[in-house]
Amino acid sequence: MKKLNRRFFLKGGMAGTALLADTGLAKKASAADTFGGYPDSMGVLVDFTKCVGCRSCEAACNKEQGLPAPDKPFDYMSVFDERHKGQKRRTTEKAYTVVNRYNIKDREQGPVFRKFQCNHCNEPACLTSCFVNAYTKTKEGAVIYDPTVCVGCRTCMIACPFYVPAYSYSNPINPVIKKCIMCYDTRLKFGRPPACVEACPQEVMTFGKRKDLIKLGHNRIQKNPEKYIDHLYGEKEVGGTAWMYMSDVPFEELGFNTHLGEQPIISYVKEFLTIVPMVLTIWPALFTGFYLLANRKEAFKNEKPSGNE
Amino acid sequence: MTRTRNTFLVIMITLALSGWPPVFGQAETGPDSAELDTLAQLYDAVAFDHAAHVEMVEGNCARCHHHTTGVAPTNPKCLRCHPGGQEADSMACKDCHSEKRFESAYLAEIAANTDRFHTDIPGLKGAYHRNCLGCHQESGGPTGCADCHARNEKGDAFFSSGKYAPKSPQKTSGH
Amino acid sequence: MNQLVKQGFSPVVSHRKKDGSAWTVKEKIFLGLTPGDYFSEQFRNPFNWILAVIYAVGLPIIIGRFIYGLGWVTHSSYDYPWGLFLGFGLFTMVPLSASGFMMGTTVELFGRSDFKPIERLGLLNGLLGYLFAVVFLQVDLGQPWRLIYPMFVSLGPAAVLFLVAWHVATYLSCQIAELVPAFAEWMGLPRAKKFIKSIVLGLTIAGIILSTLHQGALGGLFTYAPGKIHPLWYSSPFQWFHFLCSAIFAGLSMLIVVSTLCKWFMRWRCDENFLNSLDRLTLGIAKGAALALITYLAIKLIAVAHDNEWQYIFTGWGQWFLLEITIGVIVPLILFTMAIRNDSADLARLGAFIAVLGIVLNRLNTALIAFNWNLYQDIPHWREVVICITVYSTYIVVYRAILARMPILYTWKE
Repeated sequence: MKKLNRRFFLKGGMAGTALLADTGLAKKASAADTFGGYPDSMGVLVDFTKCVGCRSCEAACNKEQGLPAPDKPFDYMSVFDERHKGQKRRTTEKAYTVVNRYNIKDREQGPVFRKFQCNHCNEPACLTSCFVNAYTKTKEGAVIYDPTVCVGCRTCMIACPFYVPAYSYSNPINPVIKKCIMCYDTRLKFGRPPACVEACPQEVMTFGKRKDLIKLGHNRIQKNPEKYIDHLYGEKEVGGTAWMYMSDVPFEELGFNTHLGEQPIISYVKEFLTIVPMVLTIWPALFTGFYLLANRKEAFKNEKPSGNE
Repeated sequence: MTRTRNTFLVIMITLALSGWPPVFGQAETGPDSAELDTLAQLYDAVAFDHAAHVEMVEGNCARCHHHTTGVAPTNPKCLRCHPGGQEADSMACKDCHSEKRFESAYLAEIAANTDRFHTDIPGLKGAYHRNCLGCHQESGGPTGCADCHARNEKGDAFFSSGKYAPKSPQKTSGH
Repeated sequence: MNQLVKQGFSPVVSHRKKDGSAWTVKEKIFLGLTPGDYFSEQFRNPFNWILAVIYAVGLPIIIGRFIYGLGWVTHSSYDYPWGLFLGFGLFTMVPLSASGFMMGTTVELFGRSDFKPIERLGLLNGLLGYLFAVVFLQVDLGQPWRLIYPMFVSLGPAAVLFLVAWHVATYLSCQIAELVPAFAEWMGLPRAKKFIKSIVLGLTIAGIILSTLHQGALGGLFTYAPGKIHPLWYSSPFQWFHFLCSAIFAGLSMLIVVSTLCKWFMRWRCDENFLNSLDRLTLGIAKGAALALITYLAIKLIAVAHDNEWQYIFTGWGQWFLLEITIGVIVPLILFTMAIRNDSADLARLGAFIAVLGIVLNRLNTALIAFNWNLYQDIPHWREVVICITVYSTYIVVYRAILARMPILYTWKE
């Protein structure tokens, strides 16, 4: 929370706290041993300046993952106006990726389209929150899961900072978590990019090793500083994600949460996890001690004749 | 099943220039027309009126072909290395913009070749779409997918549209 | 029943009837009444009619939930994956059941045998609360038949929920063991009672450890959602302690509330020992609750200061937060203090009742209301509410049935 709030302060322009926040972050980062991701894991760099909102990626995902027929054809652009409780479309049990349109004021080229799917975190919150260990972060970078052990507690949905996992509520027999697996089974495992990446006519997405993509992204920003916001969203957010984004409009205007901080979600939980072994080891002795203290008088009273305690 | 699906996606993205004559004698104006057809799995081939486009750009081939035709490119950054006047070995899109942009062999080649400057060039499909659509958006040309290439039945199935459209919209799950 | 007892009927309190012959188990189940008398007594009770209405509506909906799936009874929200079943069922039932380990600790560990008359009620309140929290969980889980997966099939030991699952499971067994003496007396199994007596200290300490950990772990579960929960209800370092500390006064307050209800509605089942000491015990428990309340208030404010969240106090959320603190903490604290000063158990009972409501509000706030605070509010589906009421009614029915039979409110005469 500390970091989150400090981020809010930063946004508010309180320069004094900025310094504080940075030192705090640095200390935190060294204290918690975090996993930076597999060295040669793959990733996808998404360049929103190129997306034209054709929804081919949605169609490709639907076919590749064998998902049920969509509610509306994939060439209906009216879906961009859909709102649910004021929210734009999100990933569902029937759609592992969605594209949303963001009308940006005074943007010459018109609206920005944002593709949304699982970001495949280096240290996934869903994975760390799962009590049946259903999730796996593969060395290729995908966050996959084993639906055959999913109990349906939906903690991963609580934990995911990006609101990605969906749940097949409509299925009474075998409801499970549903989310993008980066086409691990059919493509990524064989070194091929996810279906959405290949289907994109604009090649909005670049597939490659995550570490190369970071260089490439910064390079692209460096070559076009007037075009891009100088930030690769996902490079550092919540410990880094396999999917990273570049944009010409500030990320918060595209519905990105820019207050997530750079710590993986598990680091917020570690504060509790550290007390567990302490309680387990200290409590028995402590409370046995209390017992002996509390019953001392009685013990004396009762056992005076025999003289032992 | 996935294999077939994969194959047609691969085909869909590998837009090849069949019928593009590799005769450089024609370089001044290029062919009159070309058929861009490997998207045929989902879309019919694009009947590209090259001559009309040459006219539209008023002979500035660099508008689409960058420096390859020997015309000086418009982007000042490109000008530093490609000042113009030097015709490239090839001016076919696919000779620089790989049809296999996302295949591991290509990715490995890019990674291995450290001398290469252009490591971030779009594949063939991306190059086409960005080049054509980018210009069409600016100049008010047609921008709908089917304006350039009519979608075939496979395409309709892919997009769950036309006769493959969902019959009765099911109740969407809440968010 | 109160009327029957006034007319001279005396329910089962020992193995022997007045004439010296032994009660059969069947007779014990009917409280010493003939089946006919027993059922006409049940029909006379207006509360049973209310229950009948609840079940008439609720049971079909619970059955429907398992036939048509969760999507039929909830909004199938992806943004609010946890609704009332967990927000109310799990996250409030568990703290309200902390009385089990509190009373066990007080009597068995600190040797306060003066609390003995209410110890078993505390233990039973703990056991049933946990049991029904698990029932609520089973209603909420997508695949309840996989509940044992985290235990034996596929283990995710690094997850907070894994701790919750294991601790609640072991603590449930622990609590069942702690209540074996009551059952053994009623059934006439002296050896079982003797065995439990011999390990009671171990059980009690295990109870403290497990309670500390899983009450804390329920708070720990929410630390997975920084940014989703409003900062005033979220604290990475203190969340577990907020949940643990509030569970202490929640459990104690619930015990006061339940004992008050017993005194009112099940007077026939309470013996002199229980009734005569109840006021004194209520004040004693209120003292403990007041201590927990003031600790909780302090650590709540420290959490706000630690994360420097004062700015939020002046927003609408801040006022809601202050309202919760006022109702759930400050008012009960004042009432408990006044009760202790003026020696008024009734004031303590009022305080306890408000504290229970306060804890319900706090858990609902954390799990539902302040969750997704910058997204939108989700109002639970009506079927979800009906199921909650039905399951809670079952909790009351089971609670009442056990109280009426086993020596919880009265002392078994050997």
